[in-house]
Amino acid sequence: MKDEQFNNRNVSNEYFLVDIEDYPTEPWDKFKRVVKRTFRLELFVGLWVVMREFFKFEIHTVSYPEEKMPIGPRYRAIHEMKRLWESDTERCIGCGLCEKICVANCIRIETKRDENSRKEVSEYSINLGRCIYCGFCAEVCPELAITHGGRYENASEQREHFTMYEDMLTPLDTMKVGNQLEFEGFGAITPHEDERVKKTPLAY
Amino acid sequence: MVNFKINGISVKAQKGETILQVARREGIYIPTMCYLAKATPNASCRMCVVEAKGVDGLVLSCNTPPTEGAEITTDSQILYKERQNIMKLYNVNHPLQCGVCDKSGECELQNKTLEFGVEQQNFAVRDQARKKKKWGVHTYDPALCILCEKCTTVCNEVVGNEALFIKAGGYKSRIEINLANCIQCGECISVCPVGAMASTDFKYTSNAWELTKVPSSCAHCSSACSLYYESKGGEIRRVTNEADFSSLCGAGRFGFDFQNRVQTKDTSAFEKAVEAFKSAKNVVFNSFITNEEAFVLNELKKKLGFNLVNDDARKYQEFMDNFASTSNKSLYNGDIKDLSNSDFIISIGGSIQSDNPMVKFAMAQAVGYKKAFVASIHPIEEAPISNVVSMFIKNEVGSEEAALSMVADIFIEDKSSQKEFFDSLDFGYLCGESNISEEELDELKQKYLRKKKPMLVIGEDVINHSRAKNIAMIVGLIQKYTPFKVIVVPPSTNTLGVSLICDLDKIEDGFSVGYNVKADFTLSAKGEGDLDMPSLNQQEGTFVNIDKNLVVLNAGVAYHGYELNDIASSLGVESKNVIDYTSKLGFKEIEFDDLDNYYDNVGNAYRGYKIESVKNNDSVKLDEVEELGEFNGSVVYSRNPLSQFSPFTKDCKQIKVKDELVGSEQFAMASKIKSGDRVKFIVDGIEFVRHFRVDRHMKGTVAYNPTFMLDSKSSNYRYNQVKIEVINE
Repeated sequence: MKDEQFNNRNVSNEYFLVDIEDYPTEPWDKFKRVVKRTFRLELFVGLWVVMREFFKFEIHTVSYPEEKMPIGPRYRAIHEMKRLWESDTERCIGCGLCEKICVANCIRIETKRDENSRKEVSEYSINLGRCIYCGFCAEVCPELAITHGGRYENASEQREHFTMYEDMLTPLDTMKVGNQLEFEGFGAITPHEDERVKKTPLAY
Repeated sequence: MVNFKINGISVKAQKGETILQVARREGIYIPTMCYLAKATPNASCRMCVVEAKGVDGLVLSCNTPPTEGAEITTDSQILYKERQNIMKLYNVNHPLQCGVCDKSGECELQNKTLEFGVEQQNFAVRDQARKKKKWGVHTYDPALCILCEKCTTVCNEVVGNEALFIKAGGYKSRIEINLANCIQCGECISVCPVGAMASTDFKYTSNAWELTKVPSSCAHCSSACSLYYESKGGEIRRVTNEADFSSLCGAGRFGFDFQNRVQTKDTSAFEKAVEAFKSAKNVVFNSFITNEEAFVLNELKKKLGFNLVNDDARKYQEFMDNFASTSNKSLYNGDIKDLSNSDFIISIGGSIQSDNPMVKFAMAQAVGYKKAFVASIHPIEEAPISNVVSMFIKNEVGSEEAALSMVADIFIEDKSSQKEFFDSLDFGYLCGESNISEEELDELKQKYLRKKKPMLVIGEDVINHSRAKNIAMIVGLIQKYTPFKVIVVPPSTNTLGVSLICDLDKIEDGFSVGYNVKADFTLSAKGEGDLDMPSLNQQEGTFVNIDKNLVVLNAGVAYHGYELNDIASSLGVESKNVIDYTSKLGFKEIEFDDLDNYYDNVGNAYRGYKIESVKNNDSVKLDEVEELGEFNGSVVYSRNPLSQFSPFTKDCKQIKVKDELVGSEQFAMASKIKSGDRVKFIVDGIEFVRHFRVDRHMKGTVAYNPTFMLDSKSSNYRYNQVKIEVINE
């Protein structure tokens, strides 16, 4: 996904004015406009433009779904659960803050104690039918575990297809080749964060 | 009375009150970390320091009584800095795992760290590896521990178990346990200000803010302690309490998952139940019932004319009637608070260890705080409570009447009203029969000198004794003519309430309907009967507890089936909700919704209302003491193990005490059985098949045979002579 075009925010001032006549107000003027439009065959003017562009092969639309527009890193589509770079294990610690902050009340998380007596997420689901994609969950997540992804196509036979924890989790093979994308939206680490961390003094 | 000022406000202190207690009473905030209102101050955190005018340095408000005219300041810049530094020190190497910690959201360390604006850490020390421990129902994480000593204090002073202790070693100090002493009550979990002591079952399953809190009362024994059911997703996840002021035993804290999980209303079974009530000769129920439902049954009895049977409550009712005939008061005059404040306690007829945990807790507190002398008149010397009981007086099984009459003779000075009875007492004969020596009685009398607040605790064994009538009258005499305060411990949760509300009969032959008791047609809260009923954590209602308080019970989880009120409504005893009867019980006309259920700042409980004693002017003569037949051979004592009270506690997954026959080596030898044997015997017509286990700490020739798994409590004398048969395969 390329985002150069979004980074250019210098909107030019090169506006030009379209020559539009004033709207008629008098009944006689209105009648004149109707007669003029009827006999000038404006329909064929439009058709001519289409035919001209058609034969010139200058296509201005995106041929979805073969072709997709690049979307910005802060776009908020279906959630993703990220893995740790170091160990490939899940980042989610099961703190439940996303569940607490969710304004649509669509996140449900169940945790338990695993065999190493650590906290483990036993069930995680997002009801995408209720989700309003506000991004609070990604913002509140202390581990950058839940983020929004770029997958915006929500059409499916069943909503559950999108809410499985396993589906949201970065696949291990993607992880192995190092293709996990970091989220740059709300809650993400800002640049130069390392330099701003205050270190605990160690007197020993 | 001491007059002094806190922050310029004039306040008064009672004798013995500390500055902190006065401040809390007056609503002035002093932060604390290690202070526990129900125990003596630890003075380990130093958070509660205050400034006193004219005094150099800071004063610990938790253990300093005010002096006349003192001027105390509770918040100043110096105090803020001091407290901030304390919080910084607590935070040294405290793991930054609030995200996964259970305590997050209700953590004292978290709260006070934010309160005192700890933004920077200027202290450091090298951390060390600390191992997590699992001690049954609770786990201990030394890395999270701040060594406030609340858990050890509560274990030693309030519970009286001396299981937890501090293994001192400077920065390496940690809490250790003597597991043999631990009764798995979980009091340490409830007082822990951080996540160091956590419930093994609850750990990492929910955050504090996700749980819905419902204030209610415990349904397992007659103490009916105040508790909160905390649920999430339609399941109770844990039980908490006002740990600063009240206590819970293991059954209350961990025995909460006994709800009836029925999902629908079974209409055909309901119709059959209505028919069954119409044709019933007997309606049998037990005392694990609310006052309101007992009242409904009593109304149904008036309408339909069946026999209302509850032997447990009937025996208690008879006992209290006979008690009232000599004491001239319908109720006993002591309560648990009196017990914990008393300095001389005699317990007779009950197992201190397991019958009512709050009685034991109160005795431990009396011993700890008031240096009380506790004498237990009981045939079995219970080793686990030897740190509470100062003197075991072992009587012969069945001789409680003789023992109590001698106690009465020692302590009653004005014997004129029952002259014939006291004249007829032959100490030589009684001592011989009951196996209590005159030296023991002399010692008891000796220890009584200069004691101001004596208590007499009457247990279940004398209520169900064949000579209960005379015993009750003796107890009545003791209450009337001595400074002794008396508690007659109700055997089940609401025995006292049922005995006050219902008009009870003996069972007759014929069709019986059982409510939580197996009968021809059974209504069961355990889902085993013909029609499902809500269990006690799914009902609204009230109990009358051991303190004679009418306490409120709220529903912890939802229930989807029919309840007794629906049956009664279709039989003509109509009301919309069962709690409509609360004001009609015959005590005080207060609606259910107007009943209090809270603790104030100082720890005074406002739970329902006290039921007043009714006076009478009877004068009845006592019978002479009669001796029972001897109990020889193998004797079993139907006493439940710790934390087990009823079939409801039996199915709770965290209470793991098994139903096995437990006896001493002496008992094993006398009965010719050995540990691990499968044995068969008959008690009260019920055949028990049990595994036998030898407990090396036990003495004597009486074995424990638990009965908590039986739906109806046998209300016979709990000691039985049995023939034990080994049925190993």
